[in-house]
Amino acid sequence: MSTKAYPAAWADDEATRTAADRWQRRGLLTPAQQAAIDAAHPVGYYRPHNWIRLLLLIATLFGAASGLGFLLLATEFKCSSGVYAALVALAAIALLEVIVKRSQHYRSGVDNALLYIAVVAWGCLVYELTDNAFSLSFISINWLLLVLAALLVALVRYADPVVAAACFIIALWLAALILMHSKLGRLLLPFGLMAIVGALLLALRQLPARADYYYYRSAGLVLRALGLAGLYLAGNYLLVREGHAALLTSGGPSGQVALAPLFYLLTAGIPLVYIGLGLRRHDRLLLTVGLLTLAFSLFTLRYYRSLLPPEIAATLGGLLLLLGALAALRYLRTPRHGLTAEADESTPPQFNLESMVVAQTVHVAAPEAEYEFGGGQSGGGGAEGSY
Amino acid sequence: MAQASPTARLLAKLAAEGLLPPAQAAAIADDERTRPFSLHYELQAFLYLGITLLTGGVGVLVYQHIDSLGHGVIIGALVLAMAASFAYANRHRAAFTWGEAPRTSTAADYLLLLSCLLFLVLEGYLQVQYGLFGNRYGLVTVLPAALFLCLAYLFDHRGVLSMAITSLAAWVGVSVAPLTLFNDGFPSQELSGPGLLLGLALLAAGLASEQLRRKPHFAYTYLLLGSNAALLAAMVRLFDGDGSTAAPELLRALLVALLVLGICTVLVWYARRTQSYIFLLLAVGYGYVAFTVVLMVMVGFVNLSDVFIPLLILYFPLSLAGLIALLINIKKILRIA
Repeated sequence: MSTKAYPAAWADDEATRTAADRWQRRGLLTPAQQAAIDAAHPVGYYRPHNWIRLLLLIATLFGAASGLGFLLLATEFKCSSGVYAALVALAAIALLEVIVKRSQHYRSGVDNALLYIAVVAWGCLVYELTDNAFSLSFISINWLLLVLAALLVALVRYADPVVAAACFIIALWLAALILMHSKLGRLLLPFGLMAIVGALLLALRQLPARADYYYYRSAGLVLRALGLAGLYLAGNYLLVREGHAALLTSGGPSGQVALAPLFYLLTAGIPLVYIGLGLRRHDRLLLTVGLLTLAFSLFTLRYYRSLLPPEIAATLGGLLLLLGALAALRYLRTPRHGLTAEADESTPPQFNLESMVVAQTVHVAAPEAEYEFGGGQSGGGGAEGSY
Repeated sequence: MAQASPTARLLAKLAAEGLLPPAQAAAIADDERTRPFSLHYELQAFLYLGITLLTGGVGVLVYQHIDSLGHGVIIGALVLAMAASFAYANRHRAAFTWGEAPRTSTAADYLLLLSCLLFLVLEGYLQVQYGLFGNRYGLVTVLPAALFLCLAYLFDHRGVLSMAITSLAAWVGVSVAPLTLFNDGFPSQELSGPGLLLGLALLAAGLASEQLRRKPHFAYTYLLLGSNAALLAAMVRLFDGDGSTAAPELLRALLVALLVLGICTVLVWYARRTQSYIFLLLAVGYGYVAFTVVLMVMVGFVNLSDVFIPLLILYFPLSLAGLIALLINIKKILRIA
């Protein structure tokens, strides 16, 4: 039995077709060439449109839940919960392997759901088997270790992005729990986490050179995004200070932490480094994470120092953002420094987000009996923004 | 070979398979290396965020500084900012067409949105300070709705169209925002009637734009917001039965369910036509709920609960399995390529 659940060719062929589509959009391939490439690398698996995948995922989860309910009723709740968990995990894995082999499901929503069900059932089973000293404040290290082991096996075999994210979270949780066992570990917690995440990011740099890169690409992307965010958050002043207060002191308002200038520097510097590197290396993930972390850094700043009243900060920040973006649009009308403001014709057009975003964020006050336009609610939902 | 980038490996493989001449593969590799990095969506997000923050902040500021600045200054500044951004948008306006106008300037698109939002701030300010519309509160929302509707068609702007529909919904008293259900829950029962009518009117407008080829790309916005309003309102009507099994109760539930299924049919038709799966998702979700509720009402009506309750336990696994089978074969059923 191969370590990979899905044939590696599925991922490679998918990447080939996507690349051919991109090149054809850019006029580097003739349509006939693209058709020949598509014919040589056909879709050998079943994966519907994203919305249908989502529906299939939900429907499978509901179906499994009602199936379990039926099982419980049929056996009249006589077995222990560990037996039920083991049954569910086994059934889900068996069904998953069968639909991959027989019906060629490849991240269709159904196989994803079955994998998640199996992992959750495994978590319940391990909970039954390990000591039951289990509360949110203290989760046993044994439980985390056994779940992490299962998640890692699932990650290697199914390369699922959600499983990758779960691996990341459980692994960091485990590391934090182990570090917090000693006083020194508690003090060095931010640096310990940064070291672990940094090692992960370094290891991920080896992924593109691997022959099975495309099989693990989406899982690798998720791990990289979480790693970049984690590296920043571990050194973020707000989290360090409040985390320190929660873990080491007994409540009350948080005090200044040791090495504060270092954390100021990390909070301000890491987003700028991300953005700079993202623009330079044409790395959209790095750029996006950089922008999001920059927003969180501004929030951190305003959390401790209210520089301006919110409405003035929003007005000035909005004006600055608007004028900056307008200037950048003008400056980058012709490509400069390898950057352009034009839409990338090699990516397929995004689906119609505009109407949804505007309808969701723009509020027009509904008329009422004692009707007043107080508080400026007519203007939009951003007045309490983080600027 | 193992050190080459994934794209280089793909190109080498295609060249080795004889699907690409080596010279062309080299040209593609060159293009991949030198192609400029597009900041299009990032800049658009900045523009939108900037506009939202700016108008939100200004909306609060004008009320706080009435005393220190004076009405004239506030109104003057708002009018000036509104006129300036509108003038820019107008200068870059593409000639009117019933089709989709070519996008001439991203900046103009967003400045038009800004001027519309500033108009709302200005209008609210005038109403509060001078009682411009007196007690005719309806006018406060109908006026922007009408204005934005005209502007949306003139400037071919879907964002402004959304604002027009939102204003119209505010006039009726309901919300059409896509996530209303999750933020505010279902509309109250008194509002479900007007909400249903508005939703049906919007659906009709969407169908008309698609069928008559008058701005057919607006149909998406009309249908999405309209179906959201109509289906939510219909769900309220479906669920608000008092549990009685009298015939009128049953008849009404059946009628509403038929209406929901009718709306779902329209959505499926549009989904097929434009290959837009989000409408398929809406139709399947609401259709399933409506069908299930009708089944429950029928079971209650024929008064055979003792027999049917065990069957209901089977109904959910079986119907969900059926739903999955339907979705897996949806391409064949809908004949979507």
